[in-house]
Amino acid sequence: MIASSTVENYLKAIYAGMAALEAGQRLLPMGQLATAVGVTSGTATTMVKALAESGLVEYEPYAGVALTAAGQKLAALVLRRHRLIELFLVRVMGYSWDEVHDEAELLEHAVTDRLIDRMDEMLGRPETDPHGDPIPNAEGLVKPQEAQTLLSCPLETTVTVTRVIDQDKEFLRFIEQHHLKPGEAIEVEARDAAADSVRVRGKNDQRITIGTRAASKLLVHVAHALLLCLLAMPALAQTDTQKAQPPRTNLSGYMDFHFNKPEFQDGRLDFHRFVLLVTHTFSPRIRFVGELELEHAFVEGLEEAGELELEQAYVDFLLSRSFNVRAGMMLMPIGIINERHEPPTYYGVERPFIDTVIVPSTWFETGAGVHGEIGRGWRYRAYVTAPLNAAEFDAEEGVREGRQKGSEANAGRPAVTGRVEYVGYRGLTLGASGWSGKSGFEFRPRFDVPVSLAEADARYSRRGLELRAQFAQIWIDNADLLNDALALRVGVNPNIGSALRGVSLEAGHRFLSRPRFGEVGAFVRYENFDTQYRMPTGYVPLLEFDRDAWVVGANYWPDPDIAVKVDYSIVGNQSSVISAPNSFNVGLGWWF
Amino acid sequence: MGNSLRLLALVALTSVVATEGAALPAVALAEAGAQDARVIEIAAERFSFTPSEIRVKAGERLEIRLESDDTAHGFHIVGTDVDIELPKRGRGPATVTFQPKAGRYTFECSRVCGAGHEFMRGVIIATE
Repeated sequence: MIASSTVENYLKAIYAGMAALEAGQRLLPMGQLATAVGVTSGTATTMVKALAESGLVEYEPYAGVALTAAGQKLAALVLRRHRLIELFLVRVMGYSWDEVHDEAELLEHAVTDRLIDRMDEMLGRPETDPHGDPIPNAEGLVKPQEAQTLLSCPLETTVTVTRVIDQDKEFLRFIEQHHLKPGEAIEVEARDAAADSVRVRGKNDQRITIGTRAASKLLVHVAHALLLCLLAMPALAQTDTQKAQPPRTNLSGYMDFHFNKPEFQDGRLDFHRFVLLVTHTFSPRIRFVGELELEHAFVEGLEEAGELELEQAYVDFLLSRSFNVRAGMMLMPIGIINERHEPPTYYGVERPFIDTVIVPSTWFETGAGVHGEIGRGWRYRAYVTAPLNAAEFDAEEGVREGRQKGSEANAGRPAVTGRVEYVGYRGLTLGASGWSGKSGFEFRPRFDVPVSLAEADARYSRRGLELRAQFAQIWIDNADLLNDALALRVGVNPNIGSALRGVSLEAGHRFLSRPRFGEVGAFVRYENFDTQYRMPTGYVPLLEFDRDAWVVGANYWPDPDIAVKVDYSIVGNQSSVISAPNSFNVGLGWWF
Repeated sequence: MGNSLRLLALVALTSVVATEGAALPAVALAEAGAQDARVIEIAAERFSFTPSEIRVKAGERLEIRLESDDTAHGFHIVGTDVDIELPKRGRGPATVTFQPKAGRYTFECSRVCGAGHEFMRGVIIATE
């Protein structure tokens, strides 16, 4: 059946009617449909039978009608046309929002998909029309909306009007006159059940009392309710009466949990990371960024039982494109993963070994520094921070346990770190990083343990192809003195190497991409990581710590911000006595 | 906008609608500022825009098409009303028109996209 305007109007009416059905009710009664379309029940039934023959609806005599998947998509696309036309008329042609509905009713049946797509593009792919109604995408899918009304939202809490569900002209004019349009920040001060009324405080503290029927037609969004409790109130209070301002305080985050099954061991389920990222804009030039991470889901006091870490908490002073200053808790600008570690951005359940065993990601310290872009695609960062603590180094994980993590960190002799990177070609990032500091501050008599790190990396990501290469080497001077001092302290010589080295090569490809299904990609990674690469004079390397790994696996992204991961990790070492276990890993990670 | 111009725009729109596949209505495009615009394509990915430095002539109409290679980003030209959200990877570009006067316009990601979000900036340099 070719969808005529009559057919489209029926489908649209069924779509709207079904959306208003009570929970558990599947079919729209024919009487309701007839009323909505403005015909007799007999006429409606005749049309519905024809629609059923075309596979657009299911019809059950004496029970009602429901859309099939095909009918639902067609109805959603009519709504898409209607709502985009309404927005176009308001934004581009200067119509007021109370006069576009009738125009759109006519035009929605006539416009081509090409014109609608072009309108959509010109309007910046909007998600809602002037009344706040969600605009289905080209696939007919609608982003779910919150459904609180002025009757159900919390009292005395700032909410933002998101949608007006009655498009009667008089009602829309009333809404506009009293500054209750979508985007307005308002507050419900009181509800009076006896009088069927709701008192609202709006723009410039203007108060208005409206009936509960009108209140039920205004949908609202409670802005970051959790954040309101947790964070600075004044900044949000400033936004009460400002229209269409971007949120000044933002909450986002990432999480991942894993199932790891090492060879010859029981599998483990671990909620590895729960990270909340909080940002606040004091002004366009002064920003705050904070990142709080709970590792392994539970904190008991020892790292093995979980960690609660403040991984970022800095203020950025954005002075110019080429020179900006930041201070606080910062991520060290080293390698690929340390600054770019949201789970959907990389293959593999666990982070690469080079980014955990050699570069001790996540590596964060307190300090201050500068950053900027010095040319077309050339960027730099340079920080002065607290150094690593050599007293915590070991043979297996190198410098990892030496991170002071900004916790009353010794800063008698600060470390310096920096990175230069090129991002001027789409998909390509080339970077070189360095770190240098003196880490022997804990020993008495004090002796120097100069530590330096050099790192280079390349990443290319384009049209589904993902290639990565990384090299990192760490030098620990006076490692012999360090081993002697630690042997005196703990009774066992830790056999710390004087140089650690890692190499990682990875290739991946997203080979399947379907709008409704998502994307699938596979990868293979080779790594060599050796924490005993060079030893101080008189020391013999522990060969079990000269390791390499092949990791193969796949990611499935049902959404670009969600990754289901699976991989198999084959780990080897140079020791003929101690073997490294292979492992099978499954993970789920997401960003929001 | 006057009623007559509005009517003209609507007539132009509906006449094109009636001839499927025809060119876009000139009136509508002119209103949107997109006619004869120079198209600028920008790719967005954590945590950079490419290109991050764009040189144009002052007064030149720009149609900026932005496409994300990963998550949803924002595109905000500091000091202007230009602030749009880029759909996630695979969901098409976002387009915005901009007609700069002479000067430097910093643009930035206005939707938090990860740990390095604050690095995601660029500049439009408009010269006479």
